[in-house]
Amino acid sequence: MIKRYAALIRNAWLVDLQYRASIVLWLLWGVTEPAIALGIWWAIAGDGSVAGYARDDFARYFFAVMLINQLTIAWDSWYLDRWIREGDLNYRLARPLHPAHEAVAENIAYKARTASVILVVWLLVAAAWPAVRLPFDPGRWAITAVAVLLAAAMRFFISFTTGLLAFWTTRATAIMELHAGVSLFLAGRIAPLALLPPAVASVAGVLWFRSMLAFPVDLLTGAVHGPAAVLRGLGGQIAWLGVWIVAYRIAWTRGIRKYGAVGG
Amino acid sequence: MPSIVTAERLSKTFQVKVRDPGLRGAVRALFRPRYRDVHAVRDVTFRIEPGEIVAFLGPNGAGKTTTLKTLTGLLYPTSGRVEVAGFVPWTGGPPFKRHIALVLGNRQQLVWDLPPEETFLLNRAIYDIPEADYRERLAELVALLELGDVLTKPVRQLSLGERMKCELVASLLHRPPLLFLDEPTLGLDVTAQDAIRRFLIEYRERHGATVLLTSHYMQDVTALASRVLMINRGRLLYDGALEVLVARIARTKRIELVLGGGDGNRVTAEALAAFGEVKTFRFPNAVLEVRREEAPATSARILAAFPVADLSIEDPPIEEVIRLAFARGVEEGE
Repeated sequence: MIKRYAALIRNAWLVDLQYRASIVLWLLWGVTEPAIALGIWWAIAGDGSVAGYARDDFARYFFAVMLINQLTIAWDSWYLDRWIREGDLNYRLARPLHPAHEAVAENIAYKARTASVILVVWLLVAAAWPAVRLPFDPGRWAITAVAVLLAAAMRFFISFTTGLLAFWTTRATAIMELHAGVSLFLAGRIAPLALLPPAVASVAGVLWFRSMLAFPVDLLTGAVHGPAAVLRGLGGQIAWLGVWIVAYRIAWTRGIRKYGAVGG
Repeated sequence: MPSIVTAERLSKTFQVKVRDPGLRGAVRALFRPRYRDVHAVRDVTFRIEPGEIVAFLGPNGAGKTTTLKTLTGLLYPTSGRVEVAGFVPWTGGPPFKRHIALVLGNRQQLVWDLPPEETFLLNRAIYDIPEADYRERLAELVALLELGDVLTKPVRQLSLGERMKCELVASLLHRPPLLFLDEPTLGLDVTAQDAIRRFLIEYRERHGATVLLTSHYMQDVTALASRVLMINRGRLLYDGALEVLVARIARTKRIELVLGGGDGNRVTAEALAAFGEVKTFRFPNAVLEVRREEAPATSARILAAFPVADLSIEDPPIEEVIRLAFARGVEEGE
């Protein structure tokens, strides 16, 4: 399986290298949203703080969002939707490799390339701007790495499962767009969850949204206090990952029976 | 030897949403969606033996491709039993998929932006092909398909024919015993079609592969298939040799003549009409259609009556036979 993943990732990178401009555009897209959010909160915070977040805290938060969002984001619903509706799933189903493996390999390829560039950008900015520096804490980084892995896995299954809805509806990507819109607020992309009204923040915590992004970001920036809170967060991630894996299994086994294998 | 493909009472029904035209129909469909059953394949039974080349014949929407996709495990049948290479296709998993190749004339697995060799290398990894085998098979396929320097050009810069040849390479590197080809010559020019046909014949001779294909081009069927499965509206109308089908359907034969004689005693169409139906006449060439069983005797009479430079007895064009078979039904043609 390692050889297969290596070959899939290699091909994904080879395709990327054909389109240098698109890589730059995707990177700009990944950087712009948190940069704008940071600019707004920077202005609002002024010399004081908002719900305990001063300017420097916002800077660290949104740099972490920039990196962790790229490490966990998944585009699979868009690919799946096209594969199913246009029949590109056909030859993938005829190969002795589950199409999900190709999707996972694409994710690894994408994340490795964009996140590494963002990490370099962060390091360069941190060299000049102390506000975005993180304290040296390998233990916290290790736990964050676990949380990022769980979040990436969960977001993959959310995206893949939503894409599988194309077996039943032609609007699978619209559902994913809706999910992306909600997660803008509930996953902490536009503001730390601590800034949301308590009722909304608790919805984000009860559902999977906090586990997607805000929790690993808070872990990295030191906003999760105490082992109990860390374990609660990781437990929530594992539970929701389990739920989405089950949802994926159901959608795949039922959807594939419904597949019309359109086109040639 | 057991059959490599067995289909017993295979049926596949799709549910298709229907709605009335116009805005009112669209709104009604939103609240009260209606569905109707489309029986793409109905009660189809056949067996295919190892090494056979079998063609599915039928008009668009006949059920050929649905049958092919069910045999490859892409589609789940509504009912019936299917066994392919010892596996039930939709539960066979990777071991089953290593036994088959699926080539789709209008869908490609080649990575569009990369040279075809990158897809070949990917398939080498996916199918776990040892390096030495990969090199040997690639060299063989490249030579047979005369691909030359094509391997290093990006796929998007290849011609349709070159792309289809590369699709075949990608699909055959794991050397499957069973090939499913859905319209493999679709849209190709005559030269490329011919190259693909010659390749398939050669490949099958070398490796004994079983081939199932669908095609709209009768030349594919006549050049490749020893047996045809004729499907229309989901039902299997005929299963057997093409020549037998032609003999059953075509009640006539064509006598093709090249007439002799100078301008002074030209044979006329009216004179020929006494021997059969004159299909074309352009001196010195003429084509007569006569009843099948009378063809030898009529030919002898023509030779006795006119100066003839050349005479041949042919079946009607295969396209016409197939058209008749679908129009009248196979049994009626008897």
